[in-house]
Parts: sequence; C-alpha cells; structure tokens
Amino acid sequence: MALIWLSIILPIAAALGVAVSPTRHARWIALAGTLASLAVLAVVAWQFPDWTTGKHSPSTEAPAWIPRAGISLSVGFDTVSLLLALLTALLMPLCILGSFSAITERVREYYGWFLVLGSSIILAFAARDAILFYIGYEFTLLPMTIIIAVYGGTERRVAAIKMFLYTFLGSMFMLAAILYVAWEHRVVSGVWTFDIDTLTATGVRLPAATQYWLFAALMIGFAVKVPLFPLHTWLPLAHDQAPTAGSVILAASMLKLGTYGNYRFALPMAPAGGVELMTVAAVLSIAAIIYASLICWVQTDAKKLIAYSSVAHLGLCMLGLFALNPVGAEGAVFYMVNHGVSTGALFLCIGMFYERYHTKDTDVLGGLAKRMPVWACFMVFFTMASIGLPGLNGFVGEFLCLGGTFIAEHDVQSGFPGLLGPWYAIVAGLGLILAAMYLLILLGKIVWGPLRVPHTSSHGHSESPSTLTVDINGREIATLVPLAVACLWLGLQPKPMLDAIAPCTQRMLEHYPALVERHRQVETPRVADARDPLAKETTP
Amino acid sequence: MTTILADTARATVAPELSWLGLVLILPLASAALCALCGAFRCKSKLPAWITVVALAASFGLVLKAYFGYAGPVEIPIFEWINFSWGEGGRFQSFVADCALYVDSLTLFWMLFVTGLGTLIALYASEYMEGDKGTGYSRFFFGISIFLFAMSSLVMGDNLVMLYLGWEGVGLASYLLIGYDYHRPSAVAAAKKAFIVNRIGDLGLALGIFMLWANYGTLQYDELFAAMNAGGQSSIDWDIAVIPFLIMLGAFGKSAQFPLHVWLPDAMEGPTPVSALIHAATMVTAGVYLIARMFPFFELHPDALATVAWIGTGTALLAATIGMMQHDIKRVFAYSTISQLGYMFMGLGVGTSFGACYHTFTHAFFKALLFLTAGAVMHGFAGQLDLRKLSGLRRMPGWRIVSWTMFIGCLWLAAFPLTAAFYSKDAILLAALTSPRWDFVLLGWVGLFTAALTAYYTFRVWFRVCAGPVHVEMGSDGHHAPADPHDTHGHGTQTSHAHAEGPHAPRWAINGVLVVLAVGAIAAGIPSYLEIMAHVPNWVQTMIANSSASQGAGLLEAHAAAHDGHHSTVLGMDPHTGLAIIGTIASVGGISVAFFFHLYSRASADRLLSWLRSRSLVGWIPGAMEHKWYIDEIYHALVRLPLWIGAQVLSLGDKHFLDGAIVDGMGKLPMAIGKLFRPLYGGGLQGYAVTMVGGLGLVLAWVTWVWLRGHT
Repeated sequence: MALIWLSIILPIAAALGVAVSPTRHARWIALAGTLASLAVLAVVAWQFPDWTTGKHSPSTEAPAWIPRAGISLSVGFDTVSLLLALLTALLMPLCILGSFSAITERVREYYGWFLVLGSSIILAFAARDAILFYIGYEFTLLPMTIIIAVYGGTERRVAAIKMFLYTFLGSMFMLAAILYVAWEHRVVSGVWTFDIDTLTATGVRLPAATQYWLFAALMIGFAVKVPLFPLHTWLPLAHDQAPTAGSVILAASMLKLGTYGNYRFALPMAPAGGVELMTVAAVLSIAAIIYASLICWVQTDAKKLIAYSSVAHLGLCMLGLFALNPVGAEGAVFYMVNHGVSTGALFLCIGMFYERYHTKDTDVLGGLAKRMPVWACFMVFFTMASIGLPGLNGFVGEFLCLGGTFIAEHDVQSGFPGLLGPWYAIVAGLGLILAAMYLLILLGKIVWGPLRVPHTSSHGHSESPSTLTVDINGREIATLVPLAVACLWLGLQPKPMLDAIAPCTQRMLEHYPALVERHRQVETPRVADARDPLAKETTP
Repeated sequence: MTTILADTARATVAPELSWLGLVLILPLASAALCALCGAFRCKSKLPAWITVVALAASFGLVLKAYFGYAGPVEIPIFEWINFSWGEGGRFQSFVADCALYVDSLTLFWMLFVTGLGTLIALYASEYMEGDKGTGYSRFFFGISIFLFAMSSLVMGDNLVMLYLGWEGVGLASYLLIGYDYHRPSAVAAAKKAFIVNRIGDLGLALGIFMLWANYGTLQYDELFAAMNAGGQSSIDWDIAVIPFLIMLGAFGKSAQFPLHVWLPDAMEGPTPVSALIHAATMVTAGVYLIARMFPFFELHPDALATVAWIGTGTALLAATIGMMQHDIKRVFAYSTISQLGYMFMGLGVGTSFGACYHTFTHAFFKALLFLTAGAVMHGFAGQLDLRKLSGLRRMPGWRIVSWTMFIGCLWLAAFPLTAAFYSKDAILLAALTSPRWDFVLLGWVGLFTAALTAYYTFRVWFRVCAGPVHVEMGSDGHHAPADPHDTHGHGTQTSHAHAEGPHAPRWAINGVLVVLAVGAIAAGIPSYLEIMAHVPNWVQTMIANSSASQGAGLLEAHAAAHDGHHSTVLGMDPHTGLAIIGTIASVGGISVAFFFHLYSRASADRLLSWLRSRSLVGWIPGAMEHKWYIDEIYHALVRLPLWIGAQVLSLGDKHFLDGAIVDGMGKLPMAIGKLFRPLYGGGLQGYAVTMVGGLGLVLAWVTWVWLRGHT
C-alpha cells in the first residue's frame, strides 16, 4: 500500500519541485517525476499477487483518515484498476515529452498542474474508499480546467468552464448515490464506512425500486464523464481547445474514469436497477456510436473528429459492459485500455502537425505524407489501430464488445444471460463501417493526396523558435514508439491481459445471471398475464 | 447428408508440423525487413529480393506440406484471443488462437496463392524499378503484408484468424491501391475498396457471432462436429441466417453485386497489385470462405440459391459493362467480376469442385492478362486505351507480351480444350443438369455470358495486338508533378526515359509471363488426364476431402436421383451437348470480335452510332459504358442522404443540443436572475443549470421507463 501511495505522491512531489525550481529545469523534473511514478507502479504490478484471482490487493485495513465518518486512506488495485493506472502512468511521461515544444509560456505552472492531474487520476483508480475515489475523481477537474483555460485555443475559457461544470454536476448525482448507500449501511450496521466493497454489498441488498434510482444516479454521474449521448457536448469543445497533452490525458485516462466508474460502482452496486435500465443505457450507447460517427464524417477539424470518435468508441465500450456476459465485459475492459493507447497516440500525432502548421483544419492542410513520411507512418498505423484492424489492439476489444452484445440473448449454455441481442449488435456494428469511413477520410485528407499547407506558415520554424524539424524529430518519435509497441503487443498477445481481466469481470457480473433470469420471467409472461386475470392479481 | 458429414474425419492436432507456421511468418518477416529498408532509405532492389525469396520459401513449404499430406491437421502456434469462464469448453470459452487448419482445400488454395504471389513479386521487381527508394520498399512491404494476410485467411484454424486475414487483405489493398498517394483518384479508390469491404466484413463478423451463439466455438473442426451433432436444418431463424451473413462477407471481398463497385477502381494501384488482387489473393477469399463453410449453407434452403442467383447476375452484369470499356485494365477488371460470378454460381448450384477449379484456372490466366496489360502500360507510358494501341505483335520486343496475352484471352474466352473451358464447363454442367428449373435458367444465362466474355476479351486482343501498327504514347511522362522526388505511378524516371518511344519489357517481366502462360496451360492437365486416361480430376480429389465436399455430396445425391430420368442438354448427353454449345458460344464471341475489331473496325463504330440513334435501346450502350450508373445510384440513395443526415446532426449537435438546450438553459436562470435580483454576473451558474437540461432529458426517459415497468 505504501508503494501505491508513493506512486501517487511522487508526481505531487515533482510538482512542488517544479514550483520552486527554475523554468528551464521544469520539464526535466516533471519527466523524472512521472517516470518515477511509472517505475513504482511497475514494481507494484510486478509484485501484484492477484493477477488471476480477481481480488483486490493489498487487502489489509488502511489507516482511518476521518474515523468518525468511516473514511479511510485505503488504496489497492484489482487487475482492472491496475491496468488503467498503469496506462495513465505510461501516458504521463509521454505527454510531458510531447509538451516540450508546445508549451513555451508559463512553463512551470503547466508542468506542475499536469503532475497533479496525473496523481489525482491514479488516486481515483487506486482508491478503495468511495470518498477517496470521489476526491481523486473530482480533483482531476481542477488541473484540467486550468490546463485548458490557460494553455488552450481561442475559446479556451468557455471550454474549460463548460467541462468543469458539466462533469462536476454529473458527479453530484454519483456522490449523492454513494452517500445514500453509506447511510443505508449506517442504518443497518450502525457504523459509517465508505469502503467500496462494503458499500457494494449493501447496495446489492437494497430493494429493487431503490436500486433502480441508485443505478440511474450512478449511471448519470458516470455517463457525463464517459461521455454518453446526449451528455457529450462538453467533450468535443474541451478537446478542441485543450493543448495536445491535455487532450491525450483527457481522452485516454479521464474518460476512463467514467467507464471505470460504471464497472466499479454502477453495475455491481445496483444490479437490480441495472437490469431494469440496461436497455435504456444500451440504446443510449448505440445512439452515441451512430450519432457521433455520423458527425465525425462531416468534421473538418481533425481534433474534433477524434474527439467525436472517442464518443463513438466509448459508446461501444459501454455497450460491451451492458451485454452482461464475460465476452462483452472482457471486451469492454480491454477496450478501455486500448482506446487510451490508440486515441492518445492519435491526439499526439495531430498535435505534431498542429505545432508545425498551426491549423487542424483538414480542408486547409493535406498530403503531409510527402513532407512528413515518418509521421505519416505512425499516423496510418494508429488510425488502423483505431479502426480496429485485427492484429492491432483495437480489434480485440471491439470484436469482443460487439460479440458480447450479439450473443447476450443466446445464453443457453454460457451461464450469463443478457438483455441485449443481435439487433443491438447489428445497429452498433454499423459504427464499424462508419469508423472506417471517417478515419479513412481523415487519412485521405491530411496524410494522402497532393500537398496542401497554409500559406501563412509553411514552416513551423517561422513562428516558434523551437527546434521543430520538417518531419518529426527523435523526441517526438520517442513519444510515439512506446504506444505503437503497446498497440502491436496488445493486438498480438492479448491473452495475458484477458486472463487477468476475466476474474474481475466475472465478479462484477456475479449477481446478474439470476436477476436477468427473473427479469425475463417477469417480462415474458406479462403478455400472458393480460389474458389471465388471476395471474394479474398476483403480479404486483 | 448428415452421414457424409459424419464420415469426415476429425482433424488431428499436430504440433510437430508447426514449421508450417513459417508460411505465415516469412511474409511477415519480409514485411518487417522491407519496412527497415524503407527506414534506412535503401536505394537498391533489396526489398524486392527479400520479398521474392520469402514468398518462394513459403511456396516451397506449402509444396512440402502438400507432398507430406495425410489428412486434416490442426497446428497450434500460440494462444491469441483466448479466455474462458465457468467450466470452460464450448459456450464457456471464447477461443480464437493463432493456429493452422490444414486440409486439402487449404493446401489447394495455398499452392496458387503463394506460387502466384512469388511470380507477381518477381514481375514487380522490374515493373516498379522506377520507384527505387522508399516507394519501392513501401510497395514490397504492402505485397508482403498482402501475402501474410491471405495466408492467415486460408490457413487459420478458426473464423477469427480468417477475419484477421480478411481485414488484413483489406489493409494491404488499401496501402497498395493508394500507392500513388499524391493522386486523389488513387486515394479515393483505396478508401472505397476498404470501406466497401468493411460492409461485407460486418456481415462476416455478425455471422461469426451467430455461429458462436449457436455452436459455442469458432474452430472449424469443432464447428463442423457441433453442427453434425445437431441443430442442422433447424427452422430457427437465427441459425438459418448464418449463411446469409457469411455470404455478405464473401460478396464484399469477392466483388459480387451489390458490393462489386470497389474492384474496377482498384486498378488505380500499380498493375502487379491488380494482378495480385484479381488473381490469387483477395477476391478468391470469398470463394474460399463459402467453400470452407459449405456445410452451413445447407442450413437454409435458399442460401445456396441466393449465391447462385447473385453470382450469375453479377457475371452477366459485369460482362455487359466490360463490353463497353476502353481501358484494357478496366475490361480485365470487369472480366474478373464476371468470372467470380461464375465461381459463385458454381458454389450456388452445388459444385464446389467446379467453383474451386475455375478459381484455380482463373488465377493463372487472369494474373497473366493483368501482367501483360501492365507490360503494355509500363512500355507505353501509361497508355491503356485500346483505341490508341494497335498491332503490338508486329513491334520488336513485344512478341512475348502479345502471344502470352493471346493465351490469356483464349483462356478467358473459355476456348475449347483450354483449362478454363473445362472449369467453366463443370459449373455450367451442374447448373444445366440441376433438377431446379431456375438453376437450368441460370445455366443458360451463364452460357450467354460466356459468349459475351469471348467477345469482349478478343475485342481487347484484336484491337491492341493485331491490326496495323499504331501507338499513341500515354501521358504519364508529360505532366509529371513539379516535385522531382515525387514517387510516382509506375516510375516517373522510366517514363521520362522513354517518353519518346515505347520500351519493351526485359527478362523478369517476360520470364514471368511465359511461366504464367505455361501455368495456365498446365492448369488444364487434370481435365486432360481425366478425359484421356480416366484419372480422377486432381482438383476434385483435393476438394473431396475437405469441408467443401459436403455440398458436392449433396449434388451427387441429387444427380443420382436424377439419373433415373437422365438429364439431357438439348436432347444430347449433357457432356457432349455442353461441349458443343460452349464451343459455339466461345467461337461465336471471338468471331464477332474479329469482325468488328480487326476485319472492319469502322463497322463497330457504325453499329454503335446506329444503336445510339434508336430511341428504345439507344441509352443502353451509354449505360453500359457508365457501369449501369450503379456508383451514381449508390451515391444518390445511400451516401448523399447519409451525408446530409450527418450534416444535420453535426449542426444540430452544435446549435441545438449544445447551443439551444445546454447553453440556452444556461441563460434561463440568468434571465430569471435578472428578473428578481441581478446579482449573478457571470455565466458560471448559467452553465450549471444548463447541464441540468441534458441530464433532465435522461432522467425523464429513465422515469418513463420506470413507470412503464411498474404499472
């Protein structure tokens, strides 16, 4: 547990170091801080005893923080949260590295807040205490707002404020739900606690009608973060205005807090409510896929396009969770990590040409393969990963999410009945075609075709005194290579990770088969009830 | 039927054969090396030689496997997507390992995939030499990926491996069709190929899910066994729908109507790529898929009939379009679609043997035809218009090209005694002797299409290779882009070098052409032996021991029942009758082509202008030339509405959902605030309340569902 806290505190310590050191050292201190945090987390992962059990580790009691309220400093990982924390810790140094030339003013503040951002995300993933989770979850907003509002584009203020308030408001629902469950626990047992496992056990025992509202509140809270249609409008604006590294972390880690929240809280805590609301949630996910994909098609802003594609991709990810079977849930968790890797990389790639040409407009810019061939290779590679080409990482998650959705109705022997079915998968599957369409259109415009660059700044050098080369330089390649390796590795060797996720997802789903069975029995005889007045009386 | 299935031996697991994995690894390694060559700016032909050697080695390994073949085997390589829950086993695990399934169908396919792949790579080493440098490396990277993907498609032991190769060839074709990435038309064609294929891929993916949902496994061997055990011929729609979903995938990859539109555009890529796509890889994948999954096509009585109808329709449609095209490569492209139509017709009427045999013979002569077209294009600076080329066979250095093209054309026209004559015969025979009247009708349509094929094929040859010598050079060298380092088409430098006059191909191109011509001739040997020495047809024996044979068994059962009242074709023994009609169709088509395109070329124009002047049919030649406006129809019916919808949604998202609802409701409290006490200055609170708007929408829905559920 000490090591986990160390990985959270190290970036904060580095942030303090940045604050007191000269500007020219800031970036290196930040880099060192994030690398140290990554190293510590790697040690945690190396020593992690529960890769195949689905349990949390460490399971020891944590020191109480506010004993009267039952709030503790308990941190620990299961494999899912560990993977997501590792993803964040991996992306942090890459983001810092990617910011070297992009950030030239207020450098110390930038790196300082960035480090704090990283810490709070890791804290949210590591928390075993609901209040601790909430603190990490909410605290990410502050640094992100500052990063967007100070270092962003022309509409940065509006974007930052909108993001802050929208997601803050969403999490109020979530907090209310958690407090309610804690209170229920207090009523039953007489003590306050915010231990997530205890609260989950409490939530499961609540009456179905209560669970319905509980699920709805949790779902709304996290849906804003995911974001799920129609609560997504803050995201494209935030992405559009954020600096590159901010976009990367926003897409790769912060949005995952939403999907992770569903995995950790909404689904296991209120299964009876989940069963009732599953089709609504699934329809919203599918709407997100189709709606966002169509909007992507006509986007001319490269960054907004990727932002909307995140909405579509995470819609599919959520759909996988809502399939309520191991195939879908495995796919969803796998997809959380994959989406972080490939979308993060795409944002980095877009940032690289933005730094050079100061535009993201695909109508103005094009044919960069001629001038930046190395960059073009990476761009094509990550786009293919995002499209879901088999052999790269995106495929595994996408295929399993869609497959899980499809087979949810056919449960005769799998033991995990679900409420979705082929029709959901068919409609959602259209998103795969649309994804190929909009991403290849993006490639066709900015990578292929005749060279088109804006007249004002054909070379980035003229405006910024940085050391940018025509094609991407060694530092920029170094930020992309780890992600490319991850794409290939996860695409070709998903088995270890799938095995690690499997027990966790099954734990998450443990209450569902029985509830779905019951739900189905209630749903199907309803038609018969109408004809049989006796049966109708007995049905509440 | 079930008994035939039961007889099929289960595959044995043979880890000791894991060296066959090299067939996949070698092209992949070659791709990696080509990428390295590109990264280190290699300026030699090294990438080409790496690729040729790797592919030749793959071919050698396949040969070795062929000679050592002793029954279907499964060869585990490593675990890929593999997890389980509960007790594991079927339905409680999702297993898609990287493993190979090798039966005779696999070997049959791999023999010509790797063999032709090697030859095409060798040809490309000379063809692409103008692009030596990064373009050259990129090209051979693509070729290697192509062969890797195709190999895993054919050799994979489960449907997800097949899907990997399925999408992999999509990627490779995307990279190679868009090889000339500075040309917008090439980029558009590449994009189109990928997206149209993706539509089919979705069908395949859904088919895969449906198979898992009903059989709980995705490995061929287990699937066939599971299907054998029960669930067959169920009327449950979700089992019956499986073949239709799979067939959608096959139609996409094999360019069958309505998903054929990508293939003609795919000739934007360098010619060896066209040869690779049209002959050995990619388009044959659909035929392979249906042949492999043949048992599942009996799940629904109309599944195979649909395949037959679509195949025949496509064959006729593409032939009519091919008749009116002026670009040599485009004519050949439509001929590919048409010939693929025959293969699907064969599958549909139940003769997987005929379909596979035709795939085999087609692979040779189509590769040959495309490579001769490429040689012409290479030599005449991109000139491919058959109205601007004439009398090639009389020009020095072009003899081999002309005569190998002649062989290719004869084969495509299914001239008597050629291999394609026999393979097409097998398909048509099955159709014409079928007990189903509609299949007989399809057979006659196929025969009519064969005559059209002979006509348009020899239209090309008589125009380009025969007649008076007259050549107009293409424009490739002239409007070369301003950037001298531009990687261009099939070699700006070479085009520059011979901008003044044609240059004849050298050994790599000529050698490959001759080998392919010999191969095309040799492809007929199984039939010659069958007829003269009564040796069982080699292709038949290869197909007979695979999953594809089960349908053939069905056909034989039909034929046996049918022999009672002895089917005839025009009152003759079906074999003799068909041979005679087929000969008439082929020779007739060639004769017409001879008259209009060699003997009296002017009369062709006269006929055309006369036709155009007729009010009733005058539109037909134009429609054929414009591919029956199918692209335009798709644009108007699918793309445009969707695009408009997308624009509306995009504007709606910005101005309605975000603007009116979210922001607008943000202004509401401000207005109220002003009304009461103008205290709140900033927009912050406003935003806060706006968010409630979006949330409120969801809440309302949630409440509604809840109310509905509890009353």
